[in-house]
Amino acid sequence: MDVTWYLVVSAAVFSIGMAGVLIRRNPLVILLCIELMLNAANLALIAFSRAHGNQEGQIFALIVMVVAACEVAVGLGLIVAIFRRKLPVDVDELRGLQG
Amino acid sequence: MNAILAATVKTPDIDWGALGPLIALTVGACVVLMTGLLRSPAARTNLVPALATLTLIVAGALAIGQWDSNADVLEEALRMDNLALAMTVLFCFAGVLTVALSLRDLAPRDAGHGEYYALLLVAVMGMVVLASAQNLVTVFLGFEVLSIPLYVLCATHLSSEGSLESGLKYLIIGSVGSACLLYGLALLYGATGATDFDAIAQAVGGGEIRGDVLFLSALALILTGLAFKASVAPFHQWTPDVYEGAPTPVTAFMAVATKAAALAIIVRLFDVAVVGAVDDWAPAMAALAVITMLVGNVGAIGQSSVKRMLAYSSVAQAGYMLVGVIVSTRLGVQALTFYLVAYVLMNMAAFAVIVARERETGLGDDISALRGLGAERPTLAWPITIAMLALAGFPATMGFWGKIYLIDAAVDNGWAWLGVAIVLGSSLSLVYYLRVVAAVWMPSLESSVAVAARPAGARPIMAGASPEADDVADTRAGAVPAGGDTPTASTARGTHEERTDADIGDGRDPSGRDRAADRDHVGRDHRHVHQPEVVLVAVACAAAVLLLGVFPDPLFDVARDVGEAFGNFD
Repeated sequence: MDVTWYLVVSAAVFSIGMAGVLIRRNPLVILLCIELMLNAANLALIAFSRAHGNQEGQIFALIVMVVAACEVAVGLGLIVAIFRRKLPVDVDELRGLQG
Repeated sequence: MNAILAATVKTPDIDWGALGPLIALTVGACVVLMTGLLRSPAARTNLVPALATLTLIVAGALAIGQWDSNADVLEEALRMDNLALAMTVLFCFAGVLTVALSLRDLAPRDAGHGEYYALLLVAVMGMVVLASAQNLVTVFLGFEVLSIPLYVLCATHLSSEGSLESGLKYLIIGSVGSACLLYGLALLYGATGATDFDAIAQAVGGGEIRGDVLFLSALALILTGLAFKASVAPFHQWTPDVYEGAPTPVTAFMAVATKAAALAIIVRLFDVAVVGAVDDWAPAMAALAVITMLVGNVGAIGQSSVKRMLAYSSVAQAGYMLVGVIVSTRLGVQALTFYLVAYVLMNMAAFAVIVARERETGLGDDISALRGLGAERPTLAWPITIAMLALAGFPATMGFWGKIYLIDAAVDNGWAWLGVAIVLGSSLSLVYYLRVVAAVWMPSLESSVAVAARPAGARPIMAGASPEADDVADTRAGAVPAGGDTPTASTARGTHEERTDADIGDGRDPSGRDRAADRDHVGRDHRHVHQPEVVLVAVACAAAVLLLGVFPDPLFDVARDVGEAFGNFD
């Protein structure tokens, strides 16, 4: 199968993720959308890895998975800290720093 | 069985010596984290920062020790050339200063000393990886190892809402930036079939993929991702909010070290890996640089918070430094290196003074906290004056030589109009840098300027509730202020200050939500905070800015070494 179709799917997933980050207001959903963006890149990496016939893309994808997990862990921790402080869990309501 | 025992495992060839700084930082981070678990509070508050400082000094020394060796490490995943080593020393230096600024801060106490300093060390490690990356995988890894600890560090001041908010904002925007970068790296891998910089440079140099859509989108996405981290306009919007909300020592570290790391990887990626396509990316980056200078310098003008002002100023400085990348010559790399060193010293001096004043006045980072500093605290007034003049590019400071060097590099390779843009940007920046200098040395003049320049719609506070007004009351009651003025003079000044306070008090908000919380922690007797290490950082950085401004030759030599060992320019 042509690598183009994998790229089309990957670009679509990346765009959905980006749109989600821009329009959703709940930080949890935003984190999910960031995951979508990272996994779109993973799909592209693995498709290219098959197309070029070398392993570098696959190794890259594995490393991206680890990093994505770390990022989500930190993000969830922050959201829990904000929730405990009884601050609004909504990125539009958190606006104490605009000036 | 015997055959198995006799067989030897073929190990990859690893240059452990060249990895020394990274190993030191990793071990140090683990040790610091474990030391933070000790029972005795004295051990936690004193031993942990001491160990962190020791780690950073060792890592810096190991980097200096291999100067000029230009080793390729781990199958060319990293290259410890002079640029990487100079950046390593710079990051370690910034780390040591950050430890000094954090010693009496509330953030490490809130988050746990072990965690705070271990995160700082891991962030420095990520920066070293990023600055020496020679492979797309290492670029992404370094980028994230640097970013994730910083997201947490921003939010470490748990009792402050602003700190949590800045942490979440930085996390979301930083992650979008890294996702863009990652997608760009994936496309670059797809277009060239390699993750190694040298192999990519070869593929790009061949010329077949130059007009490739895949390759051009890769460049655009990579530039976007890195622009987020280096706070290049129009991807800078997070900068003022995050800088303002984060604990000030963390802000100082982010402002100087993150920017240096981001620019180091920009220069590596664009001037080594895809330098063959310079005609494709240089115009786009030049446009970004000019927009960045304009947005940063105009944005800084109306700010009453010094941290926000420095955030916009750092945006503008990123614009100047991009010029060193755009010209893609050895001279450009040298100028960028020189400017980065100058930038770290200038900003560290300024942030040290802000940290000191935050603790002494309870006014937070508002510009009024600096008012009258010249008469009261010359040891703080001179450093911030020198830092502001150097950032603006006055002669006899490092900032001047840095800009001359950048303009020289720009003119040398046919980008003279970028040199003109730097000059225009610097003259625009005088508006806000000199406002700080005026606030420090001319209290009466500053108050009228500040009233005129404050943004509309700021929240009001009660006049008389500010600690400064309390000081005025103290002075009137006959207490001698720290400066040791004669009673008549200070009473006269006090009366004047009270009036200007009332003028200002109706519109400005020097004590926001979290600043009010800070003030409760600091206590009322804010004039007598004992913090010699902060003053020392300010004075030392300012002295270095002046000294290397008058005798810049040693640093020129370092920059030349860096440029000569860098890349494969003709």
